[in-house]
Amino acid sequence: MKILVALAVLIYLFLLAPLLIVVAVSFDPTDGFRFPPPGFSLRWYVAFFTSETFMRAFFRVSLLVALTVSVLATVIGGLAAVGLVRVLTRGRTLMETLFLTPIVVPEILLGAALFLYYSRLKISTSVAGLVAGHLLLAIPYVVRTVSAGLVGVDRSLEEAAMSLGASRAQAFWKVTLPLIRSSLLSAAIFAFIVSFSDINIALFVAGPESVTLPVHVFSQIVWQADPTIAAASTLQILLIAALLAIAQHMFRLRVAL
Amino acid sequence: MHGRLAFALLSPGLAVLVAFLIVPLAMIVVISVFTYSPTRIWVPLLTAENYGKFFHPYYLGVTWTTVKVGLLTTLACAVLGYPLAYVLARMRSRWLGLCLFLLVTPLMVSSVIRIFGWLVILGKKGIVNAALAAAGLGGFDLLHNVTAVVIGLTELLLPFMVLPLMASIENIPRAVEEAARNLGANPFQLFRRVLLPLSLPGLVSGSLLVYSVAISALVTPALMGGRKVRMLGNLVYDEVLTSLNWPFAASIAVVLLVFTVAVMVAYLRTLRALSRRGGMA
Repeated sequence: MKILVALAVLIYLFLLAPLLIVVAVSFDPTDGFRFPPPGFSLRWYVAFFTSETFMRAFFRVSLLVALTVSVLATVIGGLAAVGLVRVLTRGRTLMETLFLTPIVVPEILLGAALFLYYSRLKISTSVAGLVAGHLLLAIPYVVRTVSAGLVGVDRSLEEAAMSLGASRAQAFWKVTLPLIRSSLLSAAIFAFIVSFSDINIALFVAGPESVTLPVHVFSQIVWQADPTIAAASTLQILLIAALLAIAQHMFRLRVAL
Repeated sequence: MHGRLAFALLSPGLAVLVAFLIVPLAMIVVISVFTYSPTRIWVPLLTAENYGKFFHPYYLGVTWTTVKVGLLTTLACAVLGYPLAYVLARMRSRWLGLCLFLLVTPLMVSSVIRIFGWLVILGKKGIVNAALAAAGLGGFDLLHNVTAVVIGLTELLLPFMVLPLMASIENIPRAVEEAARNLGANPFQLFRRVLLPLSLPGLVSGSLLVYSVAISALVTPALMGGRKVRMLGNLVYDEVLTSLNWPFAASIAVVLLVFTVAVMVAYLRTLRALSRRGGMA
């Protein structure tokens, strides 16, 4: 068992190596991408926060899109989960399968299909197009997480509320909804992250006006830029790690995956 | 009453799925049998030419690279994922939460960032080459080969293997392992005769998931393989955005779609079988 644990530690090291390296080189005072960094400086963070293109990609596109997707996907997916778990009796398996289809389709094909679809409809590749694409990725996560939360809530609680005079809507709103709050919040967090981290759809759909942070990092890598991308990446890693820590604290992390 | 309520609850989601998934995918299927026109991109004349193009040696080569990279990545994920899944599944301490967090966090970070990390490690002036230079060895091109792409994809997709595998191993009672040990099984026999057969559903579902995501990779081969290792995803990207041969791009997309959907349907089946045996995750 000791050998296995040592092996597991090594595998973890392999899994985390690229992230740790990116974080390390973001503090390199030179532009040499060296490890371990020869010194410590926040130079590339200053460069990140003073770069207009990075700021635009981060705040005006990525953050805006991810927040919009998070809210919309949680509402749309949450309603669907209630319908699937609580109301639907006939055709439930079919509907469940339909709501999980976006995961079955490779992301780059969603991206390519949306690109052709938007150009056919002469819709310019804007932030809205990106939101629609990311909704496809996020809704299945939300449906799964909220369904798992709903399954864990005893139905007799709602029935008790109704026998005490509450209407069906009131019983749901006052009894069930507070009980699935943590799964709803985790779902919102997952939806945010899925949108914020996406590259495969954004690579096709994002136009010059809607370059997301990952797309900008991608093009900077292609053009061999300086370690500002390391600073940008470190900030993304920290944001995602913090959100996941919150989600894990509230709900089981493995449910959505 | 129930029917109408269910429809009301499901309809916003269904509207999104129809408008942005089903219709665009149907459009791709239709364009894939249309004729390419250099001036108008495509004209609605039915043809099988786009699919015929696949049999050109170059495209067959790209398809073969894609299949090969997919298989090697799946194998590497299984070899690295099994010991990790076993340790996690048998872990009882409070460290489990932290370990799961460290497993899921890389998965949720954008793949571009993780590939960027690999470029810093394996690049021409990267960490490995710097260490080799310090030892008196000249710079090597560690990127732009199948191995580099497989390393990148393995690191990206490893959690997809570990999670179902872990769920599967958790379902094996420890008593079964102890019984095998008491009956004189050595660690290899224990793995081969007890653990592997009982955790096979998890291994199969993890493999199918990893394979289906690996064969549609785009960013990893683009950044780590360059011109030397091209996969079907790179072809789709170039044909859509650079060559503007949409009918051909659509036909590659359809082939990739049929391929992955077949693999994913098998995946969902094994997952369902897994959750019937005992609570999945």
